[in-house]
Amino acid sequence: MTKHVIRRAIGTVALTAAALAAGLGASLSAFAEGKGIDEPFREGYRKALAGKTVAYVPVALGFDLAQGWLEGLKKELEPLGVKIVVRDPNWNTNAGAQAVTTLINEKPDVMVLHNPDVQTYAKLIQKAEAEGIDVVQINMRSAYPSVVYVGADWIEIGEKATNAVADACKGKSNKIAIVQGALSAAASAYTLKGVENVLAKHPELKVVSSQAADWDAAKAKGITQTVLKQHPDLCGIVGFWDGMDSGTAAAIKEAGLTGKVFLATSGGGEQKGACDQVKNGAFDLDISYDVPTQASNMAAQIKWLLQNKGKHKDAKGSIYTTLIPITKANASVEGTCWKLGKT
Amino acid sequence: MDETLTSAAATPRAELPHAPTLTLGDRLTELRYRWWPDHVLGEILAKRWMETAIPVVVLIAVALVLSSAIPNFLSAASLADTGRQAGEIGFIVLGMALVMIVGGIDLSVGSTFALTNFCALYFMHVLKWPVAGAVVATLGFGALLGAVNGVLIGYFRLRAFLTTLITLIIYRALYDLLTADYATLIAAGFPDSTVWDFVGNGAWLGVPTVVYAYALVAIFGHVFLTRLRPGWHVIAIGGSRRSAYNTGIPVRRTVALCYVAGGVLTSVGGIFFASRLATAGGDIGVGLEITVLTACVLGGISLGGGKGSATKALVGTLIVLLIVNGLTTMSLHGGYNRMVLATILLLAAVIDIRWLKNKDRIVNKVYVSPTYHGMPPAPSTAPDSGTPWALNDKLKNVRVIGLGRIEGPEDVILDRDDNLYAGSRHGDIVRFFPPDYERMEIFAHIGGTPLGMAFDKHDNLYVCIGGMGLYRVTPERQVEKVTDETNRSYASVNDDSRLRLADDLDISDDGRIFFSEATVRYEMHEWATDGLEARGNGRIICYDTRTGKTHTVLRDLKFPNGVCIASDGQSFLFAETWGCTVKRHWFDGPKKGTTELVLDNLPGFPDNINNSSDGNYWMSLVGMRCPALDLAWKMPGFRRRMAKRVPRDEWLFPNINTGCVLKFNERGEVLETLWDLGGENHPMITSMREHRGHLYLGGIMNNRVGQYRIPDADPGFVQYERRWKKAA
Repeated sequence: MTKHVIRRAIGTVALTAAALAAGLGASLSAFAEGKGIDEPFREGYRKALAGKTVAYVPVALGFDLAQGWLEGLKKELEPLGVKIVVRDPNWNTNAGAQAVTTLINEKPDVMVLHNPDVQTYAKLIQKAEAEGIDVVQINMRSAYPSVVYVGADWIEIGEKATNAVADACKGKSNKIAIVQGALSAAASAYTLKGVENVLAKHPELKVVSSQAADWDAAKAKGITQTVLKQHPDLCGIVGFWDGMDSGTAAAIKEAGLTGKVFLATSGGGEQKGACDQVKNGAFDLDISYDVPTQASNMAAQIKWLLQNKGKHKDAKGSIYTTLIPITKANASVEGTCWKLGKT
Repeated sequence: MDETLTSAAATPRAELPHAPTLTLGDRLTELRYRWWPDHVLGEILAKRWMETAIPVVVLIAVALVLSSAIPNFLSAASLADTGRQAGEIGFIVLGMALVMIVGGIDLSVGSTFALTNFCALYFMHVLKWPVAGAVVATLGFGALLGAVNGVLIGYFRLRAFLTTLITLIIYRALYDLLTADYATLIAAGFPDSTVWDFVGNGAWLGVPTVVYAYALVAIFGHVFLTRLRPGWHVIAIGGSRRSAYNTGIPVRRTVALCYVAGGVLTSVGGIFFASRLATAGGDIGVGLEITVLTACVLGGISLGGGKGSATKALVGTLIVLLIVNGLTTMSLHGGYNRMVLATILLLAAVIDIRWLKNKDRIVNKVYVSPTYHGMPPAPSTAPDSGTPWALNDKLKNVRVIGLGRIEGPEDVILDRDDNLYAGSRHGDIVRFFPPDYERMEIFAHIGGTPLGMAFDKHDNLYVCIGGMGLYRVTPERQVEKVTDETNRSYASVNDDSRLRLADDLDISDDGRIFFSEATVRYEMHEWATDGLEARGNGRIICYDTRTGKTHTVLRDLKFPNGVCIASDGQSFLFAETWGCTVKRHWFDGPKKGTTELVLDNLPGFPDNINNSSDGNYWMSLVGMRCPALDLAWKMPGFRRRMAKRVPRDEWLFPNINTGCVLKFNERGEVLETLWDLGGENHPMITSMREHRGHLYLGGIMNNRVGQYRIPDADPGFVQYERRWKKAA
């Protein structure tokens, strides 16, 4: 009888052990299978972007805005297999028009255009869209609206700048000067409207000079020198771009009037061109439209456009950038400005 | 001497092989030089369109390089775009080319372009005028801007460079002022005109409108410069302002009008640009003058003036545009564009100046193409040789007519009234009166160098004038041109339709005039170089007085000279000076079209042939062969090296210092020869004429006419009396 009992005990133990082992094994594999859900949308995204071409035609390649945008686009798009093609008209309107015309023949998927003025590319953009190319306009737009515009609201910039100058001029001579960019460029013409809006509300302000410096620092300096000689009691200047207004600031410095003449300008917010200049007193206000944000906005729009090629018919939209006014108060704060080459 | 080897009947090339006395080496040389066309290279280089050929080659090279580096560079759409841009700039280049050809320069084209572009935009966008009105107004404005330059440079004689530099600045300042006020207005106002749109952006059959307009203007410009008198005036003024003024060309007005035209052409470019891009930006036209200047110089329009064409402007425009567009498309940084263009301009200017200075020298060096010319050793003329060639002194004591009073009587002739006529190097036909031929007068003045003469049955005196053609003088002393051109042969690169050296003639019974043209590759004054070449560049031409038509009868002859209708009236004898032969060609009858050799291996160079009273022929040998030249004629490589390395006046020339007169018959037998030993009276003789028992001698380097009494000659023989009585 004892043998039988022992045999039954061993069998039970063995069976239990086997059952335990099986159960353990089963439960182990059950941890690794069937609990996650597959994401079906990423394949389509990757396929839509790989191998596409984005053409980029800035007004010129050799300055901070254009290079910052290019860096941002590359960072976002190149890892996904998008090819970025660049053309450099080097400030020449005609060369830019020619480059765009040639590009239309090459049929990229998206064109990123920086318009030198509101008219030159208008017909070309129409033609491009007729050929099925999506046109993203960056910062300076054309009179013809394409599918998307990413950039600053120039009228807002003009109003902000002029309000600051008006405040600074309280109790002073109330004479101000305007240093424009290229007369028919969006960044200039629209900003001027914003300036005029505020001037209408401040009839005491007198504009003693409003000339175009064509985005050229040397010209801006020359204009400002003359104005300061004629009106040494000038209380404020509204400049339309910090890249060119380094010349305006130099003229003010040479006349020994830094701090006495309030210079309000706007720009991409690059460390050397914006924050450093405000820190050392060259600019009193630099309204930044933050190039890296604009670049990432553009990249996002492009990603959406590439996934929806041909499906967005007459849709049009504008993405106006949130402005960052840079003054002495926040010029030294880390993160107000971005650094070229380190985005 | 009596080899009757005939050529194929139909071909007009008289190619008869000489007696086979050639070594193998000589034969190989002869074959190589017969079949390889050395002369074509020099003739091609001498063509006027060669100057445009180099820029065209550059254009093709640039197009090939760029189309291999850039995909789709030469696709239809891309070409259409390039064409559009080329058209706009092309108009400005045409204007600049015109100004450069007249000897000036216009640096203000960039500013004028900007101003006229603004003007067109102002009229269309702001004032909203109709297209026609805006276009006309803009053209007028462009003319006005050009007129400022024109008046200052044409009438006030200011320096073009400085003046246009100043107008460049003034016009640009004007443009800046105007755009400051109106740029935003222009930007805001889009004109609602499909016509205006079509001007700048339209295309017909895939070709943009501006290209059609440019083609029209360019073709007119080409015709203007090459075929119309005002265009010739422009080129003349550019070549030499002072000389043009001296010839009565209205220099000041023409120069001023050229600048006005330049302004108008620039404004045309501005109109097309305004329609295409509608922009009045600050940088329009800045630096455009450099691009336009580069295009002009690259195309080959000379910076010094006086040289240029519409084709060159077009080629230059295309080269510059292709390079600029190619560089932009290759994503090159914008600054490199200007650097490349400036370097090309520098290179082009250097090459242009170098080529112009050396072109004539290079062409001259390459042009002379000697070929193989082998002959058997010359027969001996030794006094004791016993042959008819034996030297004698029969011409020593001839009577001299007109000594020192006539210069260069190449041919002498007498009419039925015994008057003696001779040509002179002044271009006159001089007449001496019988019986003693002391009194002389100028019968007619024609010009050129009068050579062979003949009378027709109406007593019109036909004269071959070297350098001009075939002329005739009527008995009333009226000078008339008979013909100076013949049919152009397609095998010749040189234009051989015009006559360079009409030499001698004779008239057939039915009024056909057969005359020789000594060479088609050299002018009258270069006849000796043809001797160096020995290439067979001459031909016999026929002018038919019944129909007035001229055509070439025989080609590829070695300096054909004397021509004489033979006794049967169906053939003529002709001499080949460098070939040292006399041949006979039938133009009528059963043997029509065949050529036979009559005299071969003459010891000298035969010149004119005329009838003698006893049914034979007189012929002169203008010079004697010498061993040096005979050997050199078998060595074409030696002669070519000599032509390239040695100055012209030290080359080997055929000797024409001593000669003789010979009488021969149609069977090729030389009957007698007449010499002047010591060369006292008549060392060189080009022509002789028998008349009433005397032989009258003429020589192109002589200052006299000789009269030799022929013993036992027919005292009543008058050549033309017998001739035309027989024919009548």
